[in-house]
Amino acid sequence: MSSAIVIPAYVRRHSFIELDARARAQSLMDPGSWRELVGPFDRIESPWLPMQGIAPQSDDGCVVLKGTIAGKPAVLIALEGKFQAGSMGEVSGAKMTAALDLATQDSQNGKKTAAVLLLETGGVRLQEANLGLAVIAEVMASILALREHAPVITVIAGTVGCFGGMSIAAGLSSYIVMTVEARLGLNGPEVIEQESGIEEFDSSDKALIWAINGGEQRVGMGVADELVLDDAEKIAASVQKYVRAGLPQVPRSQQVELYRERTAALDTSRQIDPLTLRKSWNRKTNQGGAR
Amino acid sequence: MEYAVEEQQTTRAWATRRDEKKRRMQLVSSWMNGPVLPQKYLVQALESLIAPGDRIVLEGDNQKQADFLSRSLVKADPKKLHDLHLIISSISRPEHLTLFELGIAKRVDFAFAGPQSLRVAQLLEDGVLEIGAIHTYVELYARLLVDLAPNVVLVCAEQADREGNLYTGPNTEDTPVIVEAAAFHDAIVIVQVNQIVEKLPRVDIPSSWVDVVVEGDRPYAIEPLFTRDPRQITDLQILIGMMVIRGIYERHQVHSLNHGIGFDTAAIELLLPTYGESLGLRGKICEHWALNPHPTLIPAIESGWVRSVHCFGSEVGMDEYVRARPDVFFTGRDGSLRSNRVLCQLAGQYAVDGFIGSTLQMDGDANSSTVTAGRISGFGGAPNMGHDPHGRRHASPAWLDLKTNPSPTARGRKLVVQTVETFAKGDVPAFVETLDAVEVGKKAGMPIAPIMIYGDDVSHVVTEEGIAYLYKAEGMEERRRALAAVAGVSPIGLRAKPKETAELRQRGIVAYPEDIGVQRLQANRSLLAARSMEDLVAWSGGLYKVPAKFRSW
Repeated sequence: MSSAIVIPAYVRRHSFIELDARARAQSLMDPGSWRELVGPFDRIESPWLPMQGIAPQSDDGCVVLKGTIAGKPAVLIALEGKFQAGSMGEVSGAKMTAALDLATQDSQNGKKTAAVLLLETGGVRLQEANLGLAVIAEVMASILALREHAPVITVIAGTVGCFGGMSIAAGLSSYIVMTVEARLGLNGPEVIEQESGIEEFDSSDKALIWAINGGEQRVGMGVADELVLDDAEKIAASVQKYVRAGLPQVPRSQQVELYRERTAALDTSRQIDPLTLRKSWNRKTNQGGAR
Repeated sequence: MEYAVEEQQTTRAWATRRDEKKRRMQLVSSWMNGPVLPQKYLVQALESLIAPGDRIVLEGDNQKQADFLSRSLVKADPKKLHDLHLIISSISRPEHLTLFELGIAKRVDFAFAGPQSLRVAQLLEDGVLEIGAIHTYVELYARLLVDLAPNVVLVCAEQADREGNLYTGPNTEDTPVIVEAAAFHDAIVIVQVNQIVEKLPRVDIPSSWVDVVVEGDRPYAIEPLFTRDPRQITDLQILIGMMVIRGIYERHQVHSLNHGIGFDTAAIELLLPTYGESLGLRGKICEHWALNPHPTLIPAIESGWVRSVHCFGSEVGMDEYVRARPDVFFTGRDGSLRSNRVLCQLAGQYAVDGFIGSTLQMDGDANSSTVTAGRISGFGGAPNMGHDPHGRRHASPAWLDLKTNPSPTARGRKLVVQTVETFAKGDVPAFVETLDAVEVGKKAGMPIAPIMIYGDDVSHVVTEEGIAYLYKAEGMEERRRALAAVAGVSPIGLRAKPKETAELRQRGIVAYPEDIGVQRLQANRSLLAARSMEDLVAWSGGLYKVPAKFRSW
């Protein structure tokens, strides 16, 4: 009974999912290179949540770090999935947009600055209504501007996943990195079930949800670029790789013809299961991405 | 006078139950091939084998369910089958209550009604259903042998052979006792099986106890009720877990125990290989368990903490893991787990040092209940484990350590530990002036309130504030003060006076984390031996198969 306990290597990994948004962000920057912009002590909070009886947070669930990754200038913007399911409000959206725009400015002035987005979000914050929708539109415009100069890398680790308007923001980014626990989709499973019925999509059927929205399927479909283990070191290595890689030849969202052809080639007369979809979808060569 | 007795003996029939069973079996004999009844005759057969007013047992606990039989019974004609007295350990499935709405059943004796608790309360109020009593599991089974002898029992098994021998497999659970109560008192035993096979892996119930076997339309329903996703464990639950390990398990040398199914106890299981190991407690506490194969126990088993585990039932996904660890689990010659709820409840009652479980509501006298307004949820097995059995005679270090009276004629005491966070979700205090159960009991016309665990059985209460060593308190007033001292800012906690609390801490009747060497700042998730279902799979070397509803990949 006195022998030492051997903890499996997998359990000993430095889990990224376990970290909160701030710790996740810090773990991806070069040590000692970063500082936080508009941090919690600046106390810029949502003015709308208290009116609805919800306690705001001093960073509005959005953490912005400026520093370097792989020795290159970078800004990192992380959403806190535990605060209001990572939803985008007026303040968090403004922080994200401003950070992206400053990176674009620096890039235009010769200091190419990559952006890394850690998206754990259900999309727009319903309590902030149109303001939330407006900031998501601004985020998209800012991503489109920056990605001409420097890579925009989205990391979806879980467990919230990335849904709603912010899934479009993810789609506009240069690269997407996911874990198997992560999910990416336009409408969340609960929303689809609510709108179209449980026969259409049973949100409690986890195997089904992950087979469609999960990281393995998304990367398998070429909608995301790399599948990584829930391990802070491995995720950092992946992000560094894409920062070094620079711009993709053609951003995924510009490959309109490719995706049109692929969609048209699908036989939708019967239900396609996720694995078959992955196979038939990839029959045509994947032209984009720096995989 | 003597002559009269003799005459009575010669005229009275002494085998009415046997004769009646023979008569009923005759009605279905033309459909049967040996003990095997084809599926298509099941509803008709139930109408013939059961008579109006019969007392029937339907197997269904908080794990496996004879659901093909229950789904078939609701199809019976209420003109032919009505006013049945249903005995069921857990009212779990919607059709269990449909039986009452259709008038097929009228009266129920049960132990637990978790998922259907709201509907039970409604149907009771509408007069659609009568409740005999709410029991604990063993109490209900015991009555099958005394005043609730059944006429027909409906149970489930994994496999049967053509003679009617049964393999109940890892989820044997309640089947043996229900069948025993029926087979040896001339009741009819009807079994749904997942499969009829030529040769069984092992025989759990012999064919001579079984009357009718029918193959189910799909495998019997089963819920992974004892699985807790480590991802959901909070820092507060970890703090409570640390206090239990130091302030109770280590303090009293708890070698054998039962755990409830909350996240608090899952946290304790996951703290043993890390926090417990750092305290050098391996081999000194938590060696023998009366417990289902909780997935969260895997790291403790793998790291050599656990010597034996006897199980009430199995747990979905754990079969292969259990099969590979026969030194720890009770397994058959075929290698698969043998569980038995009654025997494990007996073990949990008499053979363990302690029981620990969480509760939703507790009053100032430490009475607790999971019954809340508008719901009649019942008790399950917790009150059986969660009491101090006065029939115990063997001593153990923990049992003796709770003996506060030095007299040689005083007894030791089993540990009954309740964990409770002072505030439930939504800022609702868990400590209350009066339990909801009191009002629910009144409304339902129960003779006494449905108390889950009585305060006088509780030896320790642990909250995020600290531990109240209630067994040490002298008199009711001191007990109340000790409980108030750990009840935070709840209505009960606000009664605490700092000066009295300080004195209770000094005398060791109340302990705050710092009094027992627990550092609050250390209480975070990095201390857990597994923080996700994937971690548990890794600990098991891939033997644990995560049920679909717990997968997040």
